[in-house]
Amino acid sequence: MRVSRRKFLQAGSAALVGLSVKGERPIGGSFVNDSFPLGHQLRDRGSFPAVRQIEKHSVAIVGGGIAGLSAAWRLHKRGFTDFILLEMNEQPGGNSRWGQNEITAYPWAAHYVPVPGPKATYVRELFEELEVLKNGEWNERFLCFAPQERLFLYGKWQEGIEPALGLADKDREQFRRLEDSIHAFRETGGFTVPMERGLSSKQAELDRISFQDWLRAQRMDSRILNWYLDYCCRDDYGSLTSETSAWGGIHYFASREPEEKGPLTWPEGNGWIVKKLLERVGSCVRAGKMVHRIQRRKHDLSVFCGDTEHKAQFVIFAAPTFLAPYIVEGMPRLHGFEYSPWLTANLTLDHIPATYGSDPTWDNVVMGSPALGYVDAMHQTLQSRVERTLWTFYWALADGTPADNRRLLLEKDWAYWKEAILHDLERVHPDIRRCVSRIDVMRFGHAMARPKPGAIFSRERRYLANLNGRLLFANSDLSGFSIFEEAQYRGVQAAEKVLATVAGHLDS
Amino acid sequence: MGILLFISVLLIAACGLIYELIAGTLASYLLGDSVLQFSTIIGCYLFAMGIGSALSRYIHRGLAYRFVWIELMLGVIGGFSSALLFLAFAYSQGFQVIMYALVMVIGMLVGLEIPILMRIVRERYHFRDVVAHVLTFDYLGALGASLLFPILLVPYLGLVRSAMLFGLVNVAVALWSTFLFSRQLPSTRGLRMLCVMVMCGLVVGLAEAKRITAAAEDNIYADEIIFARDTRYQHIVLTRFKDDIRLFLNSHLQFSSRDEYRYHEALIHPGLSAVSAPRRVLVLGGGDGLAVREILKYPQVESVTLVDLDPEMTHLFSTHPMLTGLNQRSFQSPRVHIINADAFPWVDSNTDNFDFIVIDFPDPTNYSLGKLYTTAFYKAAARHLSAQGLMVVQSTSPMFARDSYWCIVETLKQAGLKTYPYHVYVPSFGEWGFVIASTHEYLPPTSLPAGLRFVSVDGLPSMFQFPPDMSPMSMPANRLNDQVLVRAYDQDWKDISH
Repeated sequence: MRVSRRKFLQAGSAALVGLSVKGERPIGGSFVNDSFPLGHQLRDRGSFPAVRQIEKHSVAIVGGGIAGLSAAWRLHKRGFTDFILLEMNEQPGGNSRWGQNEITAYPWAAHYVPVPGPKATYVRELFEELEVLKNGEWNERFLCFAPQERLFLYGKWQEGIEPALGLADKDREQFRRLEDSIHAFRETGGFTVPMERGLSSKQAELDRISFQDWLRAQRMDSRILNWYLDYCCRDDYGSLTSETSAWGGIHYFASREPEEKGPLTWPEGNGWIVKKLLERVGSCVRAGKMVHRIQRRKHDLSVFCGDTEHKAQFVIFAAPTFLAPYIVEGMPRLHGFEYSPWLTANLTLDHIPATYGSDPTWDNVVMGSPALGYVDAMHQTLQSRVERTLWTFYWALADGTPADNRRLLLEKDWAYWKEAILHDLERVHPDIRRCVSRIDVMRFGHAMARPKPGAIFSRERRYLANLNGRLLFANSDLSGFSIFEEAQYRGVQAAEKVLATVAGHLDS
Repeated sequence: MGILLFISVLLIAACGLIYELIAGTLASYLLGDSVLQFSTIIGCYLFAMGIGSALSRYIHRGLAYRFVWIELMLGVIGGFSSALLFLAFAYSQGFQVIMYALVMVIGMLVGLEIPILMRIVRERYHFRDVVAHVLTFDYLGALGASLLFPILLVPYLGLVRSAMLFGLVNVAVALWSTFLFSRQLPSTRGLRMLCVMVMCGLVVGLAEAKRITAAAEDNIYADEIIFARDTRYQHIVLTRFKDDIRLFLNSHLQFSSRDEYRYHEALIHPGLSAVSAPRRVLVLGGGDGLAVREILKYPQVESVTLVDLDPEMTHLFSTHPMLTGLNQRSFQSPRVHIINADAFPWVDSNTDNFDFIVIDFPDPTNYSLGKLYTTAFYKAAARHLSAQGLMVVQSTSPMFARDSYWCIVETLKQAGLKTYPYHVYVPSFGEWGFVIASTHEYLPPTSLPAGLRFVSVDGLPSMFQFPPDMSPMSMPANRLNDQVLVRAYDQDWKDISH
């Protein structure tokens, strides 16, 4: 048999490939916790089962994220237990859901809470109850361990995420000027967490323009400053500075003045708080139960969920508010609410990638990456030696319209995202493919509310947030942006309104 | 015959330059500051060549005979110059004296070569041609040598063998000259025999060059390494020089057997002797068993629990005869229980109480080790103290890492403990610091176990006194979320090394 030159070459290269592939194991994983099929069922007015049974409660809470669970926590704490919480997903927690594998617990989305300031009274109350704050001292074990953050730029890691390497005088001057402006805004008292406590029409002007336009007006055109601010907006709102209200961009910086080096974090992220809340109110929580219709009646409301009709005196709608018009009978379409699509991935690492002289940190960011970087779930370990770990990779699809990016999320398969993630990480960890054994990807079509220009001072938002009566709204999107403190505040506020009304009834 | 003669010129020129380059390179390798070394060596060498040339006028007769002898001498001295310099650096104090003497001798011999050679051949050629040809080949040889040296010789042969190879060339020229100038030589037989003998010597030298450098390097770079292993957790190296055994973990010195008794006596006795009836002792770190050796001097102690991360470390110090000699087989004692675990999680999950806790971790060189020096860790450790219990912490040098030392003291204070800092002098470490911490007041002991070599009751009070250059610094506490200690430690040692 004559071996042709081509065959010979093929065999040779196959041998070469065989050699080079030998070190790389296949990487497993899949999409997990997809919730859009349920959402699309609502949107497309699918058919739902007929009512077979009726239950009665004083309060029905729709949605088991932080807002819903916080409402439940408040009711329960006040000795009010005649309520039910209905959660669409199999696992409660919303954006604070978590996972657990043989290495560690890990977050699926929200992974920290900034050390709360004095105005965040409900957060402080919760943290005192959970002994995160004890005798005025923050528990060291829940504060993010050192070193906290690093940024990769110009081929090396620097400590902290605000760029400090390679700044020109002009950049420094603009960073300084921004800091001065932020300080002045903080002094006004108009930027607080929760936002409702400080919100003032004096700053309404800022909500009319984008953060980018505001920066332009301030002659802050430094490329590196703009990268940093874009990063911050993508990280907190999932949007670019050009799509973010100047009020929102400024709030991010002006609302916080930490009293302790934080933030507060746990291996499973804010899932730790969810676990603690479930320990208290879990018996009233029903997961995997999608509410498909809410009907207002003269003296109560009916919440339809599967084949059950829950009759309740009050309904706290804690699910994302954009869903309400599809569920609440007679509710008009909403126009002011926009949400950012996200993707998160959890990477199981059987080996720790080479560190090249830089200490691995909790939050790791790469300048120029379209994604947001990764967070190490083993960072809060007390061990002095870590051999396997788990990274949560965050990617807000901010470039382009949310609708286009949602389509992209649905169209591309798991392998596409796996490759995109590895490709992004390879820039700073050339050995990443040899370390990773599994990548699970979670897609969020409507991950977080986006404070686009006009969103904060919109009538629609303020109307829904300040509503009184039997149907109350409580999702964090009523604050214009999705953070733990706002979700908790809205949930507790809704519970307080219910409690006040009930107490009023009892008095009369 | 003309061309052969001029090739000789080329070769001896090359040899001369090679010896010079070798001396310069070696001095740069061994002493550093290559600009200084090369400048002074080239200067000396050229000056010596001038002396050689000047001396050539005193040679009147027997030019050819003396030329052969000069080549032979160059072959021997130049050929072995490199080996001689290596050994001189390793085994003598006068490396520079020997080096410059050698450079001068070689330079003078090289300075003699060309004038003598020119005089030998002056009858055969016009003076004009002699000067032109000899100098041309001289410079060509220098060019060849200067290119060969960095490109081929240093990378492929090394300095010792390069010198010997060119020594051989010198001797070959000597041998060859006995034929070239046979008419001017009284007898050639004895000279040729001598050439062959010297050549044999150089060939043997070439073959044995490895052993020469190895012998020199052993003495230059390290004591004899008796154990080296990469475990899952660290790089362990044990060295021995005469009776001194040293342990290095990740290349940080942990102890020297000559003075470790000072460290370990100081670590254990000021604290343990002050506990009235110590029954249970906990050691965190200390996988070498030396602290345990001191603890076992107390017959009242019923059990010693040692928690060390690395099983290979505790195994090594349980089995290696040289090391069990050092720790007096402390790990074999039925009173000792070894647990291989990560200290912080172990302290967190265990619920036992101890009368004395020894915290003997490596210095806080990184954030992982830094966790073991935090308020959170000391709070967790203090929960294991019995009512009368004391804790002692190795806490780096109050002299060389003063900020770090007082940072550890402050951290213990903010963990809610009373602190009693003290220090001792350990020759291989320098001034070293410890802290006794407890929930109640500590009083130094009035008696100690018999047979101690360093710690004494009379000497105790001075250990607790800090002179002004080690006196307390105001430092914040080291916390999990803000590890000021790791930064301070890094800065302290940077300040020392610059």
